[in-house]
Amino acid sequence: MPQRRVLIVDDALFMRNTLRDIFTAAGFAVAGEADDGVQAVNLFRELKPDLVTMDIVMPYKSGIDATREIVQHDPNAVVIMCSALGQESLVMEAIEAGATDFIVKPFRGEDVLAVVKKVLGE
Amino acid sequence: MAHAPHKYLHAFVAEATEQLEQLASELVRIEQEAPGGTLWDSIFRRVHSVKGSAATIGLSGIVAIAHAAETLIGKLKAQHARPERTHVDLLLQATDALVQEVQHASGTAHAPRADEGAPLALAARLAEASRLLPDGVPAPPPAPRIAAQKPVADPGTPRLDVAFSLSKACQAPGARSLIVQRKLKGLGVLLEMDPQPAALMQKKGGVRVTALLATARPTDEVRAAFEGIPEVEEIEVRPAPIANAPSPEPQAAEEGGAVRAVPDTAGTEEARTDATVRVRAQALDQLLDQAAEVLHGIARLREAARHLPENAAAQFEAEIDRLRRTARDLHSRVMNARLTPFSSLTERLPRAIRDLAHRLGKEVELEVQGGAVELDRTVIEALADPLTHLVRNAVDHGLETSAQRISMGKSVRGLLVLSARRERDKVLVEVSDDGAGFDGERLRQRAIDMGALSPDRLPEINEQQSYELAFLPGLSTRDEATDLSGRGVGLDAVKSAVEGLGGKIALRSAPGKGSRFTLELPLSVSMANLLLVQVGGELYGLPMTRIVATTEYDLSARGGEGFEARSLAVMGQLVRAYSLAKLFGLPSLAPPGPRPFAVLEVDGITFALSVDRLAGKKEAVLKPLFPPIDRIKGLAGTTVLGNGRPLLVLDPRGLHELAEVSQRLRGAA
Repeated sequence: MPQRRVLIVDDALFMRNTLRDIFTAAGFAVAGEADDGVQAVNLFRELKPDLVTMDIVMPYKSGIDATREIVQHDPNAVVIMCSALGQESLVMEAIEAGATDFIVKPFRGEDVLAVVKKVLGE
Repeated sequence: MAHAPHKYLHAFVAEATEQLEQLASELVRIEQEAPGGTLWDSIFRRVHSVKGSAATIGLSGIVAIAHAAETLIGKLKAQHARPERTHVDLLLQATDALVQEVQHASGTAHAPRADEGAPLALAARLAEASRLLPDGVPAPPPAPRIAAQKPVADPGTPRLDVAFSLSKACQAPGARSLIVQRKLKGLGVLLEMDPQPAALMQKKGGVRVTALLATARPTDEVRAAFEGIPEVEEIEVRPAPIANAPSPEPQAAEEGGAVRAVPDTAGTEEARTDATVRVRAQALDQLLDQAAEVLHGIARLREAARHLPENAAAQFEAEIDRLRRTARDLHSRVMNARLTPFSSLTERLPRAIRDLAHRLGKEVELEVQGGAVELDRTVIEALADPLTHLVRNAVDHGLETSAQRISMGKSVRGLLVLSARRERDKVLVEVSDDGAGFDGERLRQRAIDMGALSPDRLPEINEQQSYELAFLPGLSTRDEATDLSGRGVGLDAVKSAVEGLGGKIALRSAPGKGSRFTLELPLSVSMANLLLVQVGGELYGLPMTRIVATTEYDLSARGGEGFEARSLAVMGQLVRAYSLAKLFGLPSLAPPGPRPFAVLEVDGITFALSVDRLAGKKEAVLKPLFPPIDRIKGLAGTTVLGNGRPLLVLDPRGLHELAEVSQRLRGAA
C-alpha cells in the first residue's frame, strides 16, 4: 500500500509537533501543516492529502468552516476533527459540515491511530 | 512523579506564554471596547488553545482553570454587554494563575506548588461566576441541527432494527452517534433513533442506541457500514417486525440555520505577516556569537597576511576583504533577526496600569507611540523592569487623582505616553505624563539631608538639574515608599539599568504640567557572559566562552611564594599556570595557601590564571575600549556593573600572548 499522506491543521505548534510524531512513527507521510483554517483549505487543494486532522478553534477561519469548504471541494475528503473535551456541540457541528470523524484531546498516539485506521478501512 | 518532560514542553511553554500575554492585554481592552466586537472570540480562542495543548501533556491544573474560564468567557460573550469589572478581574486572575502553572510546568517542576488545590479552587470560582450569570439573551447554544423531525418512508420498503453500543471509552457519545446516524441515513430512511444524538451530548459512553431503518439493502451491508466507525460495538442488525413501523406524523419544520458557535474571525486579526518560524532566542544568541567569532577570525587572518611575501599578499587580502564583507553582512542579518518590536514591552503595561490606577482611584489613559520600532532583544529584556518602574512611578506619584485634576482644570483622565523612535544608531524611548511634575525644591532638600549635595552648591543648581537629583540612590521625594511603585527599586536602579546597556537617561519636568523621562538606547548591543575575578582588590571580567574550568591549587606548597609560571594538572592534562596579578604588575592580596584558578582555552591552548578570588558570574553588555586604554594588551572592553562601577573585561588571547612574552623574557634573563 502506498504511504498515506496526512495534512495536519492546528494553530498550536505544540499540537502539530505531537501529531506529526504520532503519524511519522506509524509510517504516514506528513504532506503539510497548516496553522489556520484558510491555510488548511489552500493546502488541501494543493496537496490532496489522504487524510486531514483538523483543529476546531483557529484564527481566520474555524476548523468547521474549513472542513465545510474542503468537503465541498472533495466530497471524499477524510477530515478528522481534533477537539477538546467539552466541545461536543462543535464536533457535532463539524460532523454536520462533513467531517469524517473526530478525536478528543487529550489523546494518546494509539487513540489517534485507531480512529485513523478505522476510517481509512485499514 | 518521575515523568520525563514532554518532548515538546518547550514549544508548549513558549506558545502558552505568548497566548496568555495576549489574553491579558485583550482582557484589559474588552473593558473599553463597545460590546459585540469579535474580541471575545479571540479571548476564547487563546484560552482554548492553551487548554488543548495542556490536556495533551496532562497538565490538569491548567485544563481545570482554562476550561472553567472558557465557560465564563462564553457566558460573558452571550451577554452582549460590557463585562463587569469583577468578571474581568476574575479572568485576569485566571490568566495569572495559568501563567504560573505554565511556569511551574516549564522549569521549577521539582519544587512543590504552594497550594496544590489552588487551580481547582479558582476553577470553582470561575464556574460559580458562570452559574450566576443569566443565560445569553438570544440563547445561542450551538444546537446541532438534528431536528426532531419524523421522516417518512415508503411503507413497502423493508424495515431493519439496528442496535449498537457506544464504547465505555467514548468521550463524545453525542458526536459519535451523530456519525452513526449520518451513516444510517446514507443507507436508507432513518425512521427512529433512540436516544437521539443530541440527547447523548455531555453523557458518558457505554450507552445502547436503537434505530429503525427503512432500506432495501441487505442486513450484512448495513452491518458492514459500521466497520469504519470507531467506538461502536455490539452491533445488531435484523429485519424488524411489521408492527414496529411507525405511522407517519406531521413533519416538524427543519430548524433554522444552526447558530455559529465559532464566528469567522477573519478581518479581526492583525494583518497576516510573512511566514515565520519560532527560533529559540538562545540559538540566535549563539549564532550572533559565532558570527562575531568569524569576524574576529578574519581580522586575525588579515593581521597574519602582513607577514606574507608582497606578491602573495595582494591576492590574499582581496579574498579576505570579500570574506569580511560577507561575514559583516551575516553578522548584521543575525543582529536584525534579534530585533524585537517596542510593542512587546508595552503589551503588558495596560494591565499593570489598569490595576494600579484602580487601586489609587485614578483614571489613566495610556498612549503608545512607535510600537513597531525595533530594538535589540537584549535591550528589550533589560528594559522591561525599568520601564515598568517608570510607568508605575508616573501613575503613583506623577498623575493626580481625578478629583485633584478636576479642581485644577485638567482633564479627568491623566495621560501617560510611552513612545519609541529611532534616531540614527540610537533608539529614544520616552515615558511622559501630564501630572504634577517633580518638585525641584523637595529634591534639593532631600539631597542635602542625605549629604549627597553640599548646601554651598545650591546656587549652582538650576531647576532642571535639580530634577536629575532624583536619580541619586535612596532619594525618594516621598517619606514612605508606597508598596505600589516603591518595591525598593528607585530611579537610581532605572538609571544604572539604562547605563548598563550603554545608554543614557534624562529627566525633564515642569511643575503642574508633567514630566518626561528620555532613555537614549543603543540599537544593538553585544552581551558577554563574564566570570568575575578579583585581583589586587579590583574586579575583572573573563569571557565565559573561554573558560574551561575553575579550580583551586596550592602552588606555594610546591615552591614557595613568588611563582611566575608553573604547571597545573587540570582534568588529567598538564597546563601552564600564570598569575594574573603578575601579568598586570598588580599586587596580589591573597594570603598564601590554596588559590583559585580560572582555566582558559585559546586557539587550542589551555592555560590557567591564578586570581585572588572568584567573584561569580555576570551577563553584561560589552563596550569597546576607549583611547588610550585600547592599546593595552590583554584588555577586551569595558562594562558597567549593576552598582554603576565600570569593569574591565580581559581578552584571554591577549593575556596568553602577554604570558608567553613574560615567559620568554624570564628565560632570556
